[in-house]
This record gives sequence, C-alpha cells and structure tokens, in this order.
Amino acid sequence: MAPVLVVKALEKSFAGVPVLKQITFNVEPGEVVALAGENGAGKSTLFKILTGQLRPDRGAILVDGQNLDHLDTKIARELGIGIVPQELAPYPELAVYENLFVGRELKSRLGLLKRSEMISEAKRMLEVFGLSISPTAKMKSLSTAYTQIVEIVKATTWGAKLLLLDEPTSSIPEHEVERLHEIVRALKGQGVAMVYTTHRMSEIEQLADRVLVMRDGMLIMDSPAAEATPEAVITSMIGRDLGNLFPSLPKPGKNIGLSVEDLVLEKGGPSVSFEVREGEILSLGGLVGAGRTEIIETIYGIRKAESGLVKVGSQLLQLGSPRKAIDSGIAIVPEDRKGAGLILQRSITENGGLPRLKDYLFAGFVRLRIRKQAVTKSMDKVALRSRSLDQAAGTLSGGNQQKIVIGRWLGGDTKVLLLDEPTRGVDVGARGEIYTIIRDLAASGLSVVLASSDTPELIGLSHRVLVVREGRITGELKRDELDDVSAQENIFRLSSGQEILNA
Amino acid sequence: MSEKLETKATSIIEGFREKWTTAKIVDLLVRNSLLIVILLVMVYFATQNERFASLGNLRAVLIAAAPFALIALGQTIVILTGGIDLSVGSVVALGAMSAAWLSLRLPPEQLWLAILIAVILGTIAGVINGLVIAYLDVPPFVATLGMLTAASGFAYVIGGGAPINGLPAEFAIIANAKIFGFQLPVYMMLGSFIIMALVMRYSAFGLRVYAVGGNRTAAEVAGVNAKRTLVQVYTLSGFFAGISGVVLASRVGSGPPSLGVGYELLAIAAVVIGGASLMGGRGTVWGTFLGLIIIQTLGNGLDIMIVPAYWQNVINGVVIVSAVAVDVWANRRRTR
Repeated sequence: MAPVLVVKALEKSFAGVPVLKQITFNVEPGEVVALAGENGAGKSTLFKILTGQLRPDRGAILVDGQNLDHLDTKIARELGIGIVPQELAPYPELAVYENLFVGRELKSRLGLLKRSEMISEAKRMLEVFGLSISPTAKMKSLSTAYTQIVEIVKATTWGAKLLLLDEPTSSIPEHEVERLHEIVRALKGQGVAMVYTTHRMSEIEQLADRVLVMRDGMLIMDSPAAEATPEAVITSMIGRDLGNLFPSLPKPGKNIGLSVEDLVLEKGGPSVSFEVREGEILSLGGLVGAGRTEIIETIYGIRKAESGLVKVGSQLLQLGSPRKAIDSGIAIVPEDRKGAGLILQRSITENGGLPRLKDYLFAGFVRLRIRKQAVTKSMDKVALRSRSLDQAAGTLSGGNQQKIVIGRWLGGDTKVLLLDEPTRGVDVGARGEIYTIIRDLAASGLSVVLASSDTPELIGLSHRVLVVREGRITGELKRDELDDVSAQENIFRLSSGQEILNA
Repeated sequence: MSEKLETKATSIIEGFREKWTTAKIVDLLVRNSLLIVILLVMVYFATQNERFASLGNLRAVLIAAAPFALIALGQTIVILTGGIDLSVGSVVALGAMSAAWLSLRLPPEQLWLAILIAVILGTIAGVINGLVIAYLDVPPFVATLGMLTAASGFAYVIGGGAPINGLPAEFAIIANAKIFGFQLPVYMMLGSFIIMALVMRYSAFGLRVYAVGGNRTAAEVAGVNAKRTLVQVYTLSGFFAGISGVVLASRVGSGPPSLGVGYELLAIAAVVIGGASLMGGRGTVWGTFLGLIIIQTLGNGLDIMIVPAYWQNVINGVVIVSAVAVDVWANRRRTR
C-alpha cells in the first residue's frame, strides 16, 4: 500500500536559526506513529508545516503520492490531514453537536440550521467510537479527556486520513487515558493513520507501531515500536551537549532561606514540603501540568493555599498576598511572561520599578531620578540590551523581556527567588546569560526555586532537583546523582511515574 | 566674508535637514494630528464668523465646558483601568438635586455644608461602584449601569419627581463669581486637569492605574493592590461627578432631576477622541483635554454658524469615529 504521507528532506529556519533539519519519514495508512522529543525539538513546527500553517524552506511533502508545493490549511484539510492541538479550542458554551458541526453546518435551503439532523448525525458519529456522550450536552460539562475525544471526532469527520495529535494525553488524568487509547485503536481499524506526540513511555509500548524521535530539529530515531526499548528512546531524546551553556555552581550556604511545610494547594490534595538553603538552587521538575507552577504561585500568594506554612528565613509568611510575599523578600519570575510578568505597553523603567515602587515614593509621588538610578543599576547587572529605558517593554526580544522580569528584583532585599520556566521562548544565546544571572543571584545568598520542564536545565543549573508528579513530590536527585549519566532518564522516569533506575 | 556666511548658512540648513528628516516631521504631525485638527477647525470658524474668535465667546465655551470636563476627567482614569463609568450622568443629577434641596433648607451661611454633602454623596456613589466592581467582580459596565439607574431614581426622589426651583441667590455664586473675567468653574476645571495630569504622570497612584489597566495580572504579581486601585478610581469619578452636579445646579439656578442625562456618553466620547483605549492602559489626561476642546469648539462654532442641532449631532458622530480611526491608524503606523 502506498504511504499516506511522505516527508522528504524537510528544512525550516526561523530568523536564521534552523529548527528542522533534513526530516525524512513515511507514514503508512492505519499506522500509529509516536513522535517523541523534548520541548523545542521541533515537533510542533513539524506539525504546523504538515497542517499548512507554516511553509517549509526546503524539502517535499507528498500526501497520497501527490506532491504538495504549497500546502495551506485549506488544502491540508481537503487532503485529509486533521490535527488535534495541545491547546484545545472548543466552544464551551455550545453543545457537543454544535462543536462538531461548526464550520460545516447542515443547512436547509433557506439557510436555516437543521438542528435535529445535526443532532442525530452527531449521535451516529459518537456511536461509531462507542461513546455515550449526549450530543446536546454542553461542551463545558465534559471532562478534559472527553473534550479531547470530541475534538478528535471532529477532526475525523472532515474525512481525515492522517490525524496529528499533539500531546493528547498530557492533560488527562491517568484513569481516562485508556478511553483515548480505545479511540486511537478504533481509528486505526478504520485505516486512519496517526502521528502523536507523547511523553509517556508506556503509551509508546501500548499503542505505537513505530517511533520517531526528534532532537534539536533532527530526526534521531525511526524504528518499529517493537524494537525500540524505553531506554533507547530516552537516550535518543536527550544526550545533548550541555557543557558550555551552564555556569559552574558555587556551594550553597548553611542557613535555611525558605521552608515550605505541609503546603496543601487544594482541598483533599497532596501536601508539599521542602527546604531551600541560602545560595541553593532547588529545581522542580516534572511534566507540563504536574503542579510545579501551582506550588510556586501558592508560595507567592497568587493562589490561595488550603493549609500549610511558608517561612522566609525564620519569618512566617502570611500566605495569599503577593504584596506580603514581596515585603518579606520573595520575588517571582512567572511562567507567563507576557500575561503575568510585564505590562508591555509601559516603559522598562516603569516595569522595572513596579515591585519596589514604595522605595521610590515621596508623599505619593514617584521620585523619578532615584527610580531611574535604581532601575538603571539593576538592568546593567542583567546586561539588558535596549535603546533606552523609556522604551516600551513590549518592543524588546523575549530574552531581554525576561531580563527585566528577573532584573527588577535585584538591588532590594530579595531573599527568595521563584523562577517558573525562566527560559521559555528565550533563544539559546540569551539562555546562557540568564543562567549566569540566576547562578550569580544564588551565589549572592538568595534561595532559588526553579521550575522547569527542560531537563538539561534542571541538571545543569540545580543543586538539587525535586520531581513533581500530579501535585506531589515523587523523588529527589542530589547534585552527585545529577552528575550521573542516568540523571536525565531518572528525572524522566520519576516524571512519568516509573521506577527510578539503580545505578 | 560673504562666502563664509554662505557656508555657515548651508551648514545650518544641513544641520536642520539632518535633525528634521521627512519621516520625523511626518511622525510629529501624525502624533499631534488632533491638535492640528483643532487648530484648523478654530481657524476655519474664525474666518467664517468674527464672533467666534472673541473673548466673550471663549468665556462662554469654557463655562459651558466646565461641568462636563470634570466628568470626563474622572472617566479618563476609569477608562485607563479598562473599565467604564456609565453612572456619572446620574450622579451629576444626584449631586445637583441634593445640593439644591439642601440649599433651600440650610441658612445661607451654611451653604458650604450643602455643597459638601452633595459632593460626598457623589463620592459615595463612586465608592459603591468601586467596591462592587473590585470585590464582587461585577463587570464595570453592569455595575455602573445599575448605579446610573439607582442614582437617577434618588435624584427624582429628592425632588419628589419635580425640579427644585427658586434656589437662594448665594447658591448661584459658585458658578457665576468671576475672577479675572472668568467664572469660578473654569478655574476648577483647569486646576483639576493640571493636578490630575501631574498625578497620573508622576504619582504612584497614576502608575498603578496604568499598570492595572495595562495588565492586571502582571500588576498584581508585581505587588500592586489592583482591587484598591479600582475602588480609588471609581471613587474619584464619583467625586468629580458630584462637584460637576453642584456646579451645574448653581449655573442653572435650579435642580431639574433630568440634569446630566447622556453626559456619560459625551464624556466617554471626549476620552476616546483623546486617544485612550477602552481596553485600558493607554491614554492621557492631556488627550482628554484635547478631546473636550474639539467637541466644545465644534459645538460652539456650529452654533455660531447656526447649524441646526440635529445636524450637529450627525457631525459629532462622524468626528468621534474618525478621530478614533485616525488614532488607531497612527498607532499601527508607529509600531509597524
């Protein structure tokens, strides 16, 4: 049988930085292909090219033997390529059947919606997959897994021959994953080919016919699933040269800078406890959605805690108020830089001076010169590159924006620094600088908590790593264990709920 | 000698050319397009009718603008947070009616008390708006729509459904006392604008307003108490509406409960013509001032040229939309 998809020597660069290099592979009808790779390996870019959202620089794509020089989203859909993105975009207030039919509604000659027909058609579509969801139920009443399944059904109803699933199980609780697997098998039975990205080793073993592994824009591995051991997959995914990106770490101090005792984030949820010494970088690892962000935001007071104690030094922190957290010396670099870090239309000076605004006030008015001096000093420390400090923060590159978010905490009496994915969307050059800044801050005596889903970052930059899984801490790796070759794999195993390897 | 002079002249011209490239001049013109339009409109009216460019007319324009300007000022700050205050027109009526009612019942020497209570009532309306919006998370549109209805109701209750007439002569002083030829409210207006322009530009409060409007989450993460800022902002708006009510009642010499109807929309128009974004975070007090000037100048000029009021409304509508369209275009051009 002819392959449904042939990708030949595909290349793509963004602003001179190659993100896909010589990607070549085939997908046969009815084949389930698992695509593994770390964040930034190029999986999403590949998916975007296959669905026509991005143009490749070089290379060929053949669908059903047909060469596609210019794939756009419409052509891709007509050829039967469907995608279920990681970020689902359902219409929560509309019914399931309405979600299924948006964009290709059944209409009468007068242009009126034929609702009853759509409902019965939707019922039939869902029954094909053995689903007992009511077509008239509101989308928002469904669990994440079922929302995902409805999105898959929607993608197939366009007549998809090839379905791309971007981390379909990443946000689904364990017990609902099997439901999704059944759907994948049912589709396979209908001859639909699927390429899906995943972090779960078990899923590759159970579902996939073939495994592709990408790393740094290259296809590192392409083998039948039966021949791919989890160890081989993980080794292919990681094993990047990290040597020069990370600065050496100085020894942490003796005193405890931050202690978190039995912090419960939500009623009935697990409790979290850990301590960070002064000058220590403690990292929280784990998969996306494991609960790292929630822990950090609760300490800082953006989220309300259910119970538990947080101490800065020996001082008890009143939880639930960012203002209180700042006043007791806690600083945060939030995950969502644009959404929670900066006020993009305001200047660097205003953004930089905001957390410590109190220090610059006289009778309610800002002492502009003093603020400017302080901000200039801290922005020099992080080597911010800008035309002037009056420039709007939104006009800077991602790396420089992040430097403002970090740099604005310098100079004051910051004792604890909470970093949530500090290098997301930051190019490699600026990454190195940000790592050095973080190291220097720790060296100056700050207690640093770093949440990251970038495994090399966890290993290269931390004194200790705690792995978080479904809201609880499932393991700890100390510095000597991080230096061991098995470190990446062990972090991965802990994150995905497997036993740790004994070296 | 003359050659030297010539080279010197050329070098000055060259220097000027370098400093003022075409792109820069265009940018300057675009940036100040509203001011330019105002000047052109003024010149046009002045050439059409000699009465337009007279001191008497300036006086008339300013005193007419004052009560409305105070509301627009409060509205500016509310809009900067990404909110809206629909209640200001009704709060004007509430302020006017309570001041009128009290002025008839208090001895002349306690007139200040009537004024104070009226302003306090307006401020309270603002506080309620702010609390409902900040702590109950009711959308500003809905919260202030409720206040619009309720405050208007109160205004009618105070007057028993009828205007309050025959206010004491002392009460008229507020709006009619002249200093250097201009009435008191003109100074109140100018003073308030200058103070608020400085506050918004240089105070912590001003910065917090811009921060909350620009990105509330980021502001809260940086330690700004967004809820408190919101309460302060709506309180200010109510305060200005209260003052405006007193001024209007004094100027009209009576307390009609329908006073101030539709003012909120005019105030919003002035703010957006001045370049503020209804999404919050962008806009200035100075911009609102220009927006007010254009609305008032246009109204006054068209009055003098005896353009019928209904046509004036049509023109105003076109002006509001075109001003904002130009502003959006200019901004896109700048960030291109």
